[in-house]
Amino acid sequence: MYPRILRRMLKSKPLVIPRNNSTASQPIEDLETNKINGTETITKNPLDYPDFFQVHKLFTVKDLFDARVHFGHKEGSLNEFMAPYLYGSRLGHLIFDLDITAEHLRKALNFTAHIAYRGGVICFFNRNALNAHLVEKTAQECGEYAHTRFWRGGIFTNANHQFGAITRLPDLCIFLNTQNNILHQHTAVRDSAKMLIPTIGIVDTNCNPNLITYPVPGNDDTPAAIQLYCKLFKAAIQLGKEARMKFLQEEDQVETNK
Amino acid sequence: MSRILQLSLRHINSVTKYPNQATNELLKNCARANSNKTRTNSDDLFQEFTDWETLNKKKTVSKAMKAYLERAREHDDFMKKQEFEFTVGKRHLANMMGEDPETFTQKDVDRAIEYLFPSGIYDPAARPLMKPPEEVFPARKAAEFDEAGRPHHFLFYTGRPNFFKLLYDASEHIQNIYKFEDKVIRKKAIPDPNAKLELTSSVWYSKEELEQHLVENITELEYENFKLVMERLVSLPYSYRSKEFIEKVRKPIASQKFALEIPKPSYDEEGREYITTYECLRKKARGDVTIRSPGSGKITINGKDITYFADTQSREQVTFPLLFTGMEDRVDVECNIEGGGPSGQAGAIRWGIAWGLRSFVDKSMIDSMQVAGLLTRDPRKRERKKPGQPGARKKPTWKRR
Repeated sequence: MYPRILRRMLKSKPLVIPRNNSTASQPIEDLETNKINGTETITKNPLDYPDFFQVHKLFTVKDLFDARVHFGHKEGSLNEFMAPYLYGSRLGHLIFDLDITAEHLRKALNFTAHIAYRGGVICFFNRNALNAHLVEKTAQECGEYAHTRFWRGGIFTNANHQFGAITRLPDLCIFLNTQNNILHQHTAVRDSAKMLIPTIGIVDTNCNPNLITYPVPGNDDTPAAIQLYCKLFKAAIQLGKEARMKFLQEEDQVETNK
Repeated sequence: MSRILQLSLRHINSVTKYPNQATNELLKNCARANSNKTRTNSDDLFQEFTDWETLNKKKTVSKAMKAYLERAREHDDFMKKQEFEFTVGKRHLANMMGEDPETFTQKDVDRAIEYLFPSGIYDPAARPLMKPPEEVFPARKAAEFDEAGRPHHFLFYTGRPNFFKLLYDASEHIQNIYKFEDKVIRKKAIPDPNAKLELTSSVWYSKEELEQHLVENITELEYENFKLVMERLVSLPYSYRSKEFIEKVRKPIASQKFALEIPKPSYDEEGREYITTYECLRKKARGDVTIRSPGSGKITINGKDITYFADTQSREQVTFPLLFTGMEDRVDVECNIEGGGPSGQAGAIRWGIAWGLRSFVDKSMIDSMQVAGLLTRDPRKRERKKPGQPGARKKPTWKRR
């Protein structure tokens, strides 16, 4: 039996989601095919490619399943905005459709890699004490920032006063859970939206995805799932940074050759 | 001469502890005059940085860093100006005092200022002064971010990076210890009992000390969290592996060694052991007590025997430590006591005898003397009479009607 919200939705219009149950990674346009007239004039702008950093190779749907990303909360706590991302319900627990999740996660990873390539400041958020250390460690390892503590109001909206000087705010906020506690959303989600900072958020079935730029439907409580997300985001950031270093070195060489 | 005086006066004004309007105006004028020149300078400065944001050929610097550099440059200019004015002012001052400007030291400057501008202001900080500008103007905080505006610390956005880094490190240590413990259990070993952490001689930093250590202000709740996590770390069986980390946030307790040190008795001309306790105090009484061993239980108080005290209570007080330790016929006691009344004098002698007897009894007896309260001083003193009432606490009779 589907939950009421799903039943209502099914009654009004049938769910038409192109389903892809294969665990193989999606085929992607080859970089070589983007050559203009087969000559060597490859455009160097990564934004011209759908997946310049090849983030789709980082994980498969099977990986998500193994990390228990598909587990949602109980039916009663469903946020209605999360209904489109659900596969169904089993023994009273909602189950995410991992094909949709994979698509969203790939978009988010691609965006992260691009931000890292541009030298953006990336800040990780997580208010679950169980996973806080892991998140801080990830941030440190990829040379980015973390905030897993109590959010003092105005860190973004009143930054110059709070830090005592003009301060550069993060260029991307990654929320590994978007809730402050089970009832309230993290204030930084709202503040990021106010300050026009793009956000990536792992949204569980009880979260509101509306203010998140790149919502990724998935389990945000299980340490195994958080470990997977941390690993993926770290890999994406490193891909972006490697490409950046390569680019800067080439630039230097060109300048010295002149 | 008047021009010189004017010049130096202006200078003295501008470097007094509380810079006034004149200083600000001076700074503004200076900035305005140099604006054309500095523009080009700053542009050159910014050219050196890579643009990390857009990767474009045209290079710019983040807004945060630009603001910081601007402020730093303004500050440098200001300090340079102040430095110049100080040296000129010092030369004028030396000339006025008729001394050699080359060998005119800061001490001479202070003396000259005190002579030329005698001031009766109570607070020395408010008196006129002339000091090198780096002493007068506070040092500025270094930038917490690089030229691209990226903070140096990975917990910068929490607002208290050093404190949360401490908690992060503590939890890192806890996890490492867990891992190590698992490994040891798999090898069926037990923790090394000799390596156990010795924590009785030190305590955690107080909130103020921790704040000083971290250079950050923390809340009461955060301090509680710090103590919780550290207590958890030290409660682990293998916490000695993180000894260095733990000791960084602990401080040693001041030792109370004097009470544990029991003096060795000396020998008098008759070859008897003796020990003298000075400063035996109780109420207004004050005196010293000498105990000689071996003896026959003779008690001498100000040249008299125990009948120096007329009442039995005082006599009991004096003999109690001897009876308690069973030394009543093995030692002689001599006391010089003055001030106070019989009970105060008896109490002072009692404490003096007990304190001196420590050198003649064994360790377990000292412990039981401690438990019996013989080694504890009675600090009670007469409380003063308060005005408006007949005694220290006694109030005048009060009736509603």
